[in-house]
Amino acid sequence: MATVEQVQPAVVAPTVVGRSRAGEIALRMLTYLLLIAGALIVFVPFAWMISTSLKAEQSLFLYPPEWIPRPPRWSNYVEAWRVLPFGRFLINTLFITTLAMVAEIFTASIVAYGFARYRFPLRNTLFILLLSTMMLPGILTIIPKFVMWRELGRIDTFSPLTVGAWFVWGPSFVFLLRQFFMTIPREIEEAAILDGANTFQVYWQIMLPLVKPALLAIAVLSFQANWNNFEGPLIYLNTLEKYPMILGLQFFGETLSKEAPKWHYMMAMSTMMAAPILALFFVAQRYFIEGIVVGGVKG
Amino acid sequence: MVGWYTLTLVDYAIAGTAIIVSMVVLNKVLRWLGVNREAATGYALILPWLLGFLIWNLGPFIASFYFSLTEYGPLRSPRFIGLDNYVRMFRDDPNFWPVIRFTFLYSLFNVPLGLLGALFTATLLNQNVRGLGFWRTVYYLPAVLPAAATALLWRWLFARSGLINFILRPIYNLLDIEAPSWFTEPRLILPGYIIMGMWGVFGANTIILLAGLKNIPRDLYEAAILDGAGRVKRYLTITLPMLSPSLFYVLIMGIIGSFQAFTVAFFVDHSRRVGTFINVYIYEQAFGRLNGMGYAAALGWVALVIILLFTLLVFKSSPAWVYYEGERAG
Repeated sequence: MATVEQVQPAVVAPTVVGRSRAGEIALRMLTYLLLIAGALIVFVPFAWMISTSLKAEQSLFLYPPEWIPRPPRWSNYVEAWRVLPFGRFLINTLFITTLAMVAEIFTASIVAYGFARYRFPLRNTLFILLLSTMMLPGILTIIPKFVMWRELGRIDTFSPLTVGAWFVWGPSFVFLLRQFFMTIPREIEEAAILDGANTFQVYWQIMLPLVKPALLAIAVLSFQANWNNFEGPLIYLNTLEKYPMILGLQFFGETLSKEAPKWHYMMAMSTMMAAPILALFFVAQRYFIEGIVVGGVKG
Repeated sequence: MVGWYTLTLVDYAIAGTAIIVSMVVLNKVLRWLGVNREAATGYALILPWLLGFLIWNLGPFIASFYFSLTEYGPLRSPRFIGLDNYVRMFRDDPNFWPVIRFTFLYSLFNVPLGLLGALFTATLLNQNVRGLGFWRTVYYLPAVLPAAATALLWRWLFARSGLINFILRPIYNLLDIEAPSWFTEPRLILPGYIIMGMWGVFGANTIILLAGLKNIPRDLYEAAILDGAGRVKRYLTITLPMLSPSLFYVLIMGIIGSFQAFTVAFFVDHSRRVGTFINVYIYEQAFGRLNGMGYAAALGWVALVIILLFTLLVFKSSPAWVYYEGERAG
């Protein structure tokens, strides 16, 4: 827009310039005011979550509300951690997330490479089929999948939450990576092939390093999706000790915190569950944004 | 205790090895059958998805249709009952229509409001503002928060003695009404969910639309200014048409997402009689009752048809409002 604003005075008649300059400044101020208002809408609930997590039980319902608890009860975090075996929940979450993520990145990238670089009959039809599976509601296939895992004797194990990732869970990841592979000039691969590299070597040693930003983008998105996945654990896991954090949080809300909600503990648990994702977001923000933008702009 | 992890690690290793081995084998077999080198490698590379499609999409898709024609529970094998599940759904189930109505109303408000809000914010951010990175981070934050945490947080904000009621207290005093507890008051459940849903997806949509706005070539605007087009006219004749592919994407994703609301419902405690999403209802039928899996599958099919109808409607309408500028690079 910068260039647009600079061109304007030259075009508009001189008498109008004064008024339009004042209008320009008013418009700028309005823009910032609205942006600040929006930021407050985002921030206030966040601040409330953290504030609540540091309160003593008796000051939860104070009127007017206390924004900065005095003194802040850091022990809420320790207590919330101990009400249920949250240490175990964390290990489970990490276990599930890591396995699913690794398989997801590996297979999505290999499939994307195939679609981007190799010509074979029915390629476009198959790719459209892949994209259309994004629209299939997960709930529709959940019952047959449940039956399948039950027949395999894997209910109440971590297998349904991890093994399936080998079979490309995220069509959107394939789409994203394919877009990136297609921007790489073919000459690079051709040189390697002339040097005698096989397909896997070209993919692993040449192509993957070149699409590193896209790999990191799907890595953070996959981490987020698996860390926050609720539906899968809810359906497949029954034993408390096998719960990931999100299911532990829900269990706490449904049992110990049902009649008289212990908001200070629940907010502390939420904060702990969100902390790794938020930290990752601040470190790797670029990749989050890259990941969600590609679908919308390049699609 | 360690056994659980080992079991899954073994499963995981077997599946991974099987995938890689079958890729190599497929390549060899296709070559042996006389398929050219490039096509054989191509098929081998996409095999993980192809297998996944057959095992996790197509197979279950067909199976769920069969289940929808049966009476089926975790403890018994399916018994064929024809279309009874569908008949029961439309005629005898008192919960079916309220569930559809609630899910529909939620989407009806949530999708357009989320889209317009994001469009407005993205437009603001595109006004050459200072500290764009900062604003973008701030607005994207709610989308990073786990849906479970978002739902719990908003349940607390909407509680009888929560923050929202504190902020609205002057209005309550003025109207002389008592502060409500949003998620237990039947009439307020829907607005509660809509507000919460908007807060959650707003940021991601804003970022997508902002990237779309940044992609519009500057020279289009410069030409329009020379033609004497004003700010509003430029927005309507250049910005919106050029942004329409991004708007289309956000709209489709919004429809699919809001019809499938699920996780939040488990963290917002409210009377189950009002305000159940279709996916939650399907889950309850399938896993909360003894012989509900057939009925749940039938409900799933109806949900699929509804989602398809709406996305198809948007797709069919798209030539009228989505503008693709040929094969533009990028």
